[in-house]
Amino acid sequence: MSDITTTLRERARALMEDGTIAAFIGWEAGRFERQTTPLICLDAADTDRLIFDEYCVNTTAKYVRDLKQRGRIGVAVRGCDSRAINRMIEDNQFKREDVYLLGIPCPQMNDRKTGTVLNKCQDCAHRNPVTYDELLGEAMEETAPQDRYARAHLVSGLDRIARQNIFNMAFERCIRCYACRDVCPCCTCRTCFVDQRNVGWLGKQDNLSENRFYGMIRAFHISDRCIECGECERACPMDLPLMAINKKLVEDMNTLFGEYESGMTTDNEDALRSFSKTDLEEFE
Amino acid sequence: MPVVDEKKTTEEEWEPRILAFACNWCTYAGADLAGLNRMKYPANIRLLRVPCSGRVNPQYVLEALQKGCDGVLVCGCHPGDCHYSTGNYYAKRRLMIFKRFLEYVGLEPERFNVKWISASEAGRFRDTVKEFTEGVRKVGPLKESFTLAPSAGDKLFGAHNESEAPASEEGGAA
Ligand code: SF4
Ligand code: SF4
Repeated sequence: MSDITTTLRERARALMEDGTIAAFIGWEAGRFERQTTPLICLDAADTDRLIFDEYCVNTTAKYVRDLKQRGRIGVAVRGCDSRAINRMIEDNQFKREDVYLLGIPCPQMNDRKTGTVLNKCQDCAHRNPVTYDELLGEAMEETAPQDRYARAHLVSGLDRIARQNIFNMAFERCIRCYACRDVCPCCTCRTCFVDQRNVGWLGKQDNLSENRFYGMIRAFHISDRCIECGECERACPMDLPLMAINKKLVEDMNTLFGEYESGMTTDNEDALRSFSKTDLEEFE
Repeated sequence: MPVVDEKKTTEEEWEPRILAFACNWCTYAGADLAGLNRMKYPANIRLLRVPCSGRVNPQYVLEALQKGCDGVLVCGCHPGDCHYSTGNYYAKRRLMIFKRFLEYVGLEPERFNVKWISASEAGRFRDTVKEFTEGVRKVGPLKESFTLAPSAGDKLFGAHNESEAPASEEGGAA
């Protein structure tokens, strides 16, 4: 791994020094063992702090949005990061030429506490970056999960009452920190619907219906664009089974409206942004 | 569990409360025609006129269910007949997904439906309302577990019991 760290530092420094990029987004060591935090390098000296190991759990692509006015932004991208970049390009957040991507084939990230592979990485079908300007290291062999929708199938096999219990209990736990929204590469609205809700009144109550309203509608808003990166579930401090929701929506759209995978290209035809006259008719 | 409206939850007196979104260009006129023809249909339905079924944001549906409706119906023009040519095609995709989503989080399928009803189909409007109301009546009131969620305060004061099965489970009779 350390050789990736070395090349990453070298390349990031070179790109900063020759003026190709104005900032570089990567990771640095955190304050605790086996922990990293995202690092934004604003000058060449910062690049010596970059690291890459199997604890770089954060997907950093979303920081490009905050930095894009500085000029071209360099980003270290694994599979998920690169697909997030594609997604944001398709959503008109920035252009491909606004970013310079150093691709890193991903060794899969581990949970800091348990040392086992993160859920999101177990489910990942694209460890190699799908778009990049330079690839550091050798491309990996992909290890696609057996069942793309496994997290949804765990729940959809249960009966209605059980499902209701699961989700009621989950939404009741939600503390509405909005971490899931803030990390999601699809959640790029300047003003989120949930911040406009009953402004000045009791808009932000922490109860089951308000939490469910937030959770369900957020998931639905990004449903056809979700890149299935699992970052929302990883970021959630209350361990809500958010991927069980996202995977369900993605599965339905794939089965009803045709197979697709968001984030693989920048011209995906999103299921809810288009229609076909031959769609199944079940409301007749 | 807090019982807010005694009358609404006691079984003999309970009447389903149903919200129907009706497209101005078809279903709303169809309902009007049903009225002109003196057709009888259950008074449980509240019509809410929208410019197009495509105007029905799925969040309105969830909001209605969480704030006291027992069922929600969305009605629009048949595919191909949309006044704005494509609104109902988008609505169809959106609501197909949303209906499955609602059922996934534990709502009975009877509580949400979509129907295409044109301006001349007064009879179809009547039948749809009847059928839908019967369906909702069968599954019973959508009780506090969904409509009036416990708040943080309840947790402190113990009003809410997590281990209890959601109330909408046993709403069979009436
Ligand atoms: S998996 Fe979560 S964070 Fe990733 S795109 Fe989907 S909703 Fe957003
Ligand atoms: S990250 Fe988890 S706790 Fe925070 S708002 Fe999202 S679902 Fe709720």
